[in-house]
Amino acid sequence: MNARRRGRRARQAGWNVLGLAIFVVMVFPVFWMISTAFKSNEQIVSLNPTWFPLHPTIQHFRDAIHRPYFWVDVKNSLIIVSVTVAISIVLAFLAAVALARYRFGGRKLFIVLVIGIQMLPQAGLIIPLYVVLARYHETNALSGVVITYMTFVLPFSVWTLRGFLIGIPKELEEAAMVDGSTRLGVFMKILLPLMGPGLVATSVFAFITTWNEYIFARILLNDQSKQTVTVWLSYFVGSSRHTDWGALMAASSLTAIPVVIFFLLVQRRIAFGLTAGAVRG
Amino acid sequence: MAPAAETMLDRSRRRRRFWGRTLRSAVPYGLILPIVVVIGVILGYPLYWLVKLSTERYGLFELIRHAGVSVGLANYRSVLHDQVFWHTLLRTVVFTTANVTLTMVIGMLLALLLARVGTVVRILLSSGLVLVWSMPVVVAVQIWYWMTNYENGVVNYILTKLGIGNFFEHDWYATTFSQLSLVTLLIVWGALPFVVITLYAGLAQVPHDLIEAAEVDGARSWRVFRDITLPILRPILLILTSLSIIWDFGVFTQPYLLIGQSKISTGNYLMSIYLFEEGYFKSDYGRGAAISLLMLLMVAVLSVVYVRKMVRIGEAQ
Amino acid sequence: MKRRSIVALCLVAVLAAAVTTATTLGATKKATASSITVWLQTDAQSGWPDLVASTNQQFQSDHPGTTVNIQYQNWGDHLQKFDATLAGGGGPDVIEMGNTEMTKYMAAGAFAPLDKTTFDNSASWLKGLAASGAFGGKTYGVPYYAGSRVVTYRTDLFKKAGITKLPATTAQFVADDQKLFAKNPKKGFSATYTAGTDWYFAMSFVFDYGGGIATQVSGKWKGLLSSPKSLAGLAAYKAFFLATSRASKTTDETHPNPYDVYAQGLAASMIGPSWFSCCVGKAYTADTAQFVMPGHVKGQSIPGFLGGSDLAVPVTSSSKALATDWIKDFTSTSSEKVLQAKGNIPNATNLLGSSVNERAAARSWFVPTAKHWVDVENGNILRNMLAQILTNKLTIKQAASSASDNIASVLNQP
Repeated sequence: MNARRRGRRARQAGWNVLGLAIFVVMVFPVFWMISTAFKSNEQIVSLNPTWFPLHPTIQHFRDAIHRPYFWVDVKNSLIIVSVTVAISIVLAFLAAVALARYRFGGRKLFIVLVIGIQMLPQAGLIIPLYVVLARYHETNALSGVVITYMTFVLPFSVWTLRGFLIGIPKELEEAAMVDGSTRLGVFMKILLPLMGPGLVATSVFAFITTWNEYIFARILLNDQSKQTVTVWLSYFVGSSRHTDWGALMAASSLTAIPVVIFFLLVQRRIAFGLTAGAVRG
Repeated sequence: MAPAAETMLDRSRRRRRFWGRTLRSAVPYGLILPIVVVIGVILGYPLYWLVKLSTERYGLFELIRHAGVSVGLANYRSVLHDQVFWHTLLRTVVFTTANVTLTMVIGMLLALLLARVGTVVRILLSSGLVLVWSMPVVVAVQIWYWMTNYENGVVNYILTKLGIGNFFEHDWYATTFSQLSLVTLLIVWGALPFVVITLYAGLAQVPHDLIEAAEVDGARSWRVFRDITLPILRPILLILTSLSIIWDFGVFTQPYLLIGQSKISTGNYLMSIYLFEEGYFKSDYGRGAAISLLMLLMVAVLSVVYVRKMVRIGEAQ
Repeated sequence: MKRRSIVALCLVAVLAAAVTTATTLGATKKATASSITVWLQTDAQSGWPDLVASTNQQFQSDHPGTTVNIQYQNWGDHLQKFDATLAGGGGPDVIEMGNTEMTKYMAAGAFAPLDKTTFDNSASWLKGLAASGAFGGKTYGVPYYAGSRVVTYRTDLFKKAGITKLPATTAQFVADDQKLFAKNPKKGFSATYTAGTDWYFAMSFVFDYGGGIATQVSGKWKGLLSSPKSLAGLAAYKAFFLATSRASKTTDETHPNPYDVYAQGLAASMIGPSWFSCCVGKAYTADTAQFVMPGHVKGQSIPGFLGGSDLAVPVTSSSKALATDWIKDFTSTSSEKVLQAKGNIPNATNLLGSSVNERAAARSWFVPTAKHWVDVENGNILRNMLAQILTNKLTIKQAASSASDNIASVLNQP
């Protein structure tokens, strides 16, 4: 018994070490971005890499924040992303329920169409989409970007959520129905909690995709006061002149913060799903 | 009086049942209606336009005047007769296969690892993944370029220091193979967070006691994985695989920026770069539209196996 | 029944929320007649925002009640954006175009013709820039500013190597570079840093030896790179690169930026725009100066590529007269003097001063003004040729004749 426990502990330690090693490799580029943001300009271009800036400077962060339109564009991104994610997840969940739990004519067609939309090369859609949105006066407007993003996020979300729903045994709901619960009750008490991890994973995806999207935001938004953070970032490298790498890295580190915060807020749902396994049965 | 009342009751009950049935069968339609409306309104016309454009001569001249000249299937014919198209297609298929395989295999292994490590390491690793994910592609490309550049790339530095060889001024961008390998690494690295976190969320659906029971029965971990975990993950795995195929086949930003516009040539095109060069840079929008639709067809062919399996899984239940 | 109505309610609520956000966010102002939109490159935003502001002020005092909306663009994707607005509307009234981008758009009829004589100094516009804005005998683009290429060098290293006089010919420059190498045996050190596929620099040799890229013969384009003179120029370039630069043979002039190499102390000199002096690193700023690159004939500088920008009025503009007036203000003599003070070459010969930048512009070359020239650039035909030549994949003659044929076939597309 003791030996077995010891063996288990050794194995656990092994997994932990492996996990840490992978963490280091994966995160290295991120580390490089953040550490560069704190380096002096001389260190940034130096031939011998500086791993940790011993005398960190926050000058690059100051430069980045003080560039025009930073805060306005952060706000725009937050608005676009939160509206897109909220509406998309609700709509996609409804459709996923229909696909996973109902049989109806045209169902297969709908599924195939939804994935078909994903297969369209986005580059081919730039001009047609612009023309349509211009017709509805939705260019140079945040709402135009929101609906554009919804067309990418929705199909993906429908698919993933359907996958998660299929993973939940139907018997659970049926048992509850037999017990006299209403459909809505089943939905609230059984489906929703079990879907937690799936909903979280999907919305994290939706959040990050929309937060990082560049091409359509660039084409659709003209005024600098209406652009998103990724477009704002592109102004660092877009000029024909010298690029301020330090400030670019500082700005990129800053724009990653909302994503990380969002994930930290929702990640407990995923972890919770693991520990709550006992509830199911 | 009594029998009459009975028939009335009966009729109303029947009527209610009838309406109930109709309404119930309308529920799924109601559920998918919003999506159909949103996507139909936004993408319907562009799609129609794309198809129309692909049968027209539509360059900058026509674009300004909003009027193309119908040429039938000439655009398709010219693309299909283009040697570059076929070479690019082959290269893209190989590239996509490598990317998807690496992404899915490493992603699955990492998700399983994530479920095994201790809480601290798990939080560390998953936050690390999210950090990677949160890096805008444009910035990630810059960092990767830096790490691999000719003059002072950290990768050359580390490889030389580790004694693997003399990598001083090694040019990672000299050959097509080396260029596309770097792009593959970048894409897999960038795709892993999404795949791992989604699969990990899927693992959360696997009932714990089932696994414990199997382990008590002395089942080996590979069998537990194959018989319990995998069936539950199957729908998610299928979705991730088909989405990866779709995305990697049409990937543009990573290869375009990492290889760099100045090194892009017909010898290292991927499909979306071919589309961009032909459609936008040469302002031949008709031809670009034809390429777009051909790409749609190709990726549909590539992913049809997975898509069919996915639809079937839903049906079986 | 209840459940269904709840589901329905949810649906309605979501849709309503979507519609309201769409309408509140989408407060698109309809452009009034008394407002113009100007697309400038970010160079103006970081380099001379005060000039933009004062031009707008001047313009608004001449046209009371008219607002100017400046929207900054990136070189990388401004044309895709412009194409979209040509198709869908909502585009600018004034657009800044790179001089090599103009011809394709002029040929397609994207710009409104302008009356050249109403602009300041139009009689003495720099030839290269004026040519890039003219098509079929009409003027569509107004020269905005230009930049040439010079040698930026380390005075201290030159002195240490015993170079007392700046080189007067390319051969002397190469000989001086050998002295610099002898004094600086550092790994990766370049006496003159140039990127292998920097075609702007390589073509300077071709033009210096009397060659060219392409020329029009009775309406048809003919490639010139395989001509004996061009081949001599390419051979001179190859010799110069191999003798002076340790840069990658396949990289372009922005990967890495030459000034970053220089700032690490890894170059005694580098070739590039005169603004490179901005970023040579704190340690070397005091010891940095510039000179005009000499040609192979004594007393003549090597012809430099004249890069620059034009301003044009798209045909889709609904306020062309106002747009033209704004361009007049932005390219007036006084505006050009401000641009000159910022280190640019002004748009007219009568304004030229005697800075290195301006002296280098005296002998310059420009790309063929063909509708499809952009395709040659985007197709990297010249860069591929240079990489093939430098890595010895092909002989100079093989690489040049295949590139030459390639260029001719691209330029002769309908």
